[in-house]
Amino acid sequence: MSDAMLLNVLLFLPLGAAALLAFVRGNANAVRITTTAAMAVQFVIAMVLYSHFDGAVPGLQAATSVPWIAEWGVSYAIGLDGVNILLVLLTAFLGPLVILGAWTAIEKDVALFHVNVLLLQFAMMGAFLSQDLFLFYVFWEAMLIPMFLIIGIWGGARRSYATVKFVLYTAFGSILMLAAVIYLVWSLQQAGGVASFAFADLLQARLPLDVQITLLAAFALSFAIKVPMVPLHTWLPDAHVEAPTPGSVILAGVLLKMGTYGFMKLGFPLFPDATRLFTPVLMSLSVVSIVYGACLALVQQDIKKIIAYSSISHLGYVMLGLLSLDLAGIQGAVIQMVSHGLVAAGLFLLVGMVYERGHTRELSAYGGLARQIPVFGVFFIVFTLASVGLPTTSGFTGEFLVLLGAFTAAWPQHLDGVHLPLILSVTAVTGVVLGALYMLRFALTFVFGPEKAPHGPLTDLTLREKTVLGILTVSIFALGLFPDSALRKTELAAKTYQQLVSTSRLPNDAK
Amino acid sequence: MLPEHLLLAGLVLLIVTSLVRGMRSLAFPLALGVIAAASGAAFWLASAGLSAEPFPGHFVVSPTTLMVKGALLALALPVLLMSRSDFSREGLGDTEFPTLLVASLYGLSLLPSAASALVLFLGLEMMSIPVYALIVLAFRRPQSAESALKYLVLSGAASATLLMGISLVYGTTGSMDLSAYRDAILQADLMARTGVVLVLLALFLKAAVVPFHAWAPDTYEGASVPVTAYMATLSKAALLVVAVRFFDGVNVSGSMVDLLAVLPLVSIVWGNIAAIRQTNLRRMIAYSSIAHAGYLFYAFLGTSEGRLEAVTFYIIVYSAANLLAFAVLPSHTDDVVRDRMETLDGLFHRDPMAASLIAVAMLSLAGLPPFPGFTAKFLIFKSVIAAGYSTYAVLGLVGSFLGLYFYLRVVQRMFMLPSTAAATTSVGQGLGKAAGVLCLAATAVLMIVPGWVLDRF
Repeated sequence: MSDAMLLNVLLFLPLGAAALLAFVRGNANAVRITTTAAMAVQFVIAMVLYSHFDGAVPGLQAATSVPWIAEWGVSYAIGLDGVNILLVLLTAFLGPLVILGAWTAIEKDVALFHVNVLLLQFAMMGAFLSQDLFLFYVFWEAMLIPMFLIIGIWGGARRSYATVKFVLYTAFGSILMLAAVIYLVWSLQQAGGVASFAFADLLQARLPLDVQITLLAAFALSFAIKVPMVPLHTWLPDAHVEAPTPGSVILAGVLLKMGTYGFMKLGFPLFPDATRLFTPVLMSLSVVSIVYGACLALVQQDIKKIIAYSSISHLGYVMLGLLSLDLAGIQGAVIQMVSHGLVAAGLFLLVGMVYERGHTRELSAYGGLARQIPVFGVFFIVFTLASVGLPTTSGFTGEFLVLLGAFTAAWPQHLDGVHLPLILSVTAVTGVVLGALYMLRFALTFVFGPEKAPHGPLTDLTLREKTVLGILTVSIFALGLFPDSALRKTELAAKTYQQLVSTSRLPNDAK
Repeated sequence: MLPEHLLLAGLVLLIVTSLVRGMRSLAFPLALGVIAAASGAAFWLASAGLSAEPFPGHFVVSPTTLMVKGALLALALPVLLMSRSDFSREGLGDTEFPTLLVASLYGLSLLPSAASALVLFLGLEMMSIPVYALIVLAFRRPQSAESALKYLVLSGAASATLLMGISLVYGTTGSMDLSAYRDAILQADLMARTGVVLVLLALFLKAAVVPFHAWAPDTYEGASVPVTAYMATLSKAALLVVAVRFFDGVNVSGSMVDLLAVLPLVSIVWGNIAAIRQTNLRRMIAYSSIAHAGYLFYAFLGTSEGRLEAVTFYIIVYSAANLLAFAVLPSHTDDVVRDRMETLDGLFHRDPMAASLIAVAMLSLAGLPPFPGFTAKFLIFKSVIAAGYSTYAVLGLVGSFLGLYFYLRVVQRMFMLPSTAAATTSVGQGLGKAAGVLCLAATAVLMIVPGWVLDRF
């Protein structure tokens, strides 16, 4: 089978599996096994495609493009490039682990839950793979509905509030982006005569600065809500806290990458001049996200909220790396996206496992877990250190490269008398210190300290849970120790991004 | 004129069956066959590329109009199917509903082909008059009479306004032809302009655009479910087709925009806000349809190129979604209980299929991708932006965002709340489900191959 065909199978596999669940809906374990099997097959396909992916070849690989709504210039176009390859792999990798890791977390309406997870997987894959703006928007919005149901049906006590807040927040961003999408395509059609939603055509666009600014604002609002960047982050803690464990894992592991992916793939490259004009503002917001997220994580009493706020902080680094426009910074941002996906997924799984045993998320209800349930303690420390960014873990590779890139870009500007980037870079470093502080405070009371458990003795991890966490641990170290493969596959894409955003594309310098 | 002839022949036969005692049970299958045949004939003639002028200057036939006609008639099938599960309970309306429906459809099928104001008016009245009777058919409840009277009076006022407008335009241009409106709108002449504005206001009144909307919630609530479904979808669709005919070739710009954009915008915003507060399901749908009327009139901004396509696509998508919801609504012997929002609580646990179909309908109406409601809305706003009214487009989109909440509330009720009404509620019978599946199939086609559907118009 050709790679292009394989990629289509990869995309539509969850949809087919969701249909299959109708036949086994009565048996909860059969539902879980079918879902896991489908996800596992998807991961194998993703691995094959990853190994076939050649980082030295520019442009799309394994691409398919078929006219869909020909009259409007909309096509069904998917493909792999250096920007999405790692995220596709991450999505496919986390898929089976989410189901396995939270096998017993869902007991109510099991079939409906797994249908939603599969549909969500389909929509997320679609959003990463789309090479057509219309298709991208459809997948982007389609993610909302399964997540709305996952939080709303299987969530915690305040699920109704949290899920509506999540949808209304994200949909508001998207609705303005929709206006921008229509306007963008229409204005290009006016200029060039042909309507096209293909990314490749849109990236040729030459728009006046004021139009670029307006459109960037609309795109950025939508993406920044999804990232989320301070001050648009308030939906995230609620959604994370109320979501069931698998929902939190998918949300932190994959969904939050949508925003940064959107910026990298579309937001910044489509409007390079406006981006460069607003880099100081956007960079400041990223650094505020890093520091403010970390500070908030420091004072939380709810174990899920600590990790939720830490996500805001970690994704701030991704934004900083992307905005630095330095090759190391951009590549660091890509690695950081994957790394955060793995680490946050692991932490949310761990917290979910404790919650299943203790039935409370109060930090003060637990203590000394390392002695009560030692295997859990070991895994928790591993993921804590990865989150802090200890060398040899993936967190280190990402954050180090981002900060390196930020300083490399800031220093010449500092010598030219522009001090803001350097100040921001230095401030971002304090985020690393704060990160160590809140994670160690968390670990200190949680796994060390006096022994405490809410409802009598806790049972240690089962073989299933150990396996899932073990696989995640291996992947974290693999990315931390051997980032070369990932870096090689994404280098060209990072360079293309750097070039696209650095080059002016105003209408008057068309010659 | 084959579809019209088929409907007329069917109507005569239906009247005969209602007179002969032993044949009454034949009315339903006969009506079903007639509507299906008329719709099929329209599609067949359209694909054969028929273009003709059976009554020059009054009635013209082209593949596009036949396509629109076929689609509208096809949408009447679910209405007829769901009438069966609603009326059979009472032992009433064995022949009445099919007969009145086919009579109304005859008027409706004239509209897409109308080339003169005369035929348009005729078609509109022939479509509306059977509906007054249809509303009273559900006279089990006192609101039905009120509902029918309200609709009668409002509709009458609208017709009078329309006639006045038509006369004024006829007075200035001396022509009944619809192209007269193209010229009248460009003239500075006060009489012609007043005529055009009156025509537009009459259309707003009939389509329930704010501030002429107050009759819709009351009427929708008082009628029986299939009649509400008919009014909310097909009559509204037909009216929009009339509006497209009136404004055929008219470039809406300048001062006309103030009228044709502001009121629909207010409609979108107010319809969506008011729908949030409703505790009665059908009133909520009524307010939602007021908002949708707003989107539909948005399509009139700018040149008329692509307007029919945008409006037709939107009304098909919108009607399919609405009929989908109506077809599988839980039924109950007590109308008041049935219409309460609480009846939907936990529906997924009682009837997963009905709940899933209603959810698809709501999400499509909300305009969330990947459902076809999104594609339809996209097409409308694309034309608004292409006409150069980006501000109106953004405001309209923000208005549509306001509507998201109450559609999601319905989904939330069905999937996330415990079932409270389990013991008292029975769920739609087989034919209602069949209607639902028919609409779902249409929705799926519109979702997966919108390009193919758009190419037909």
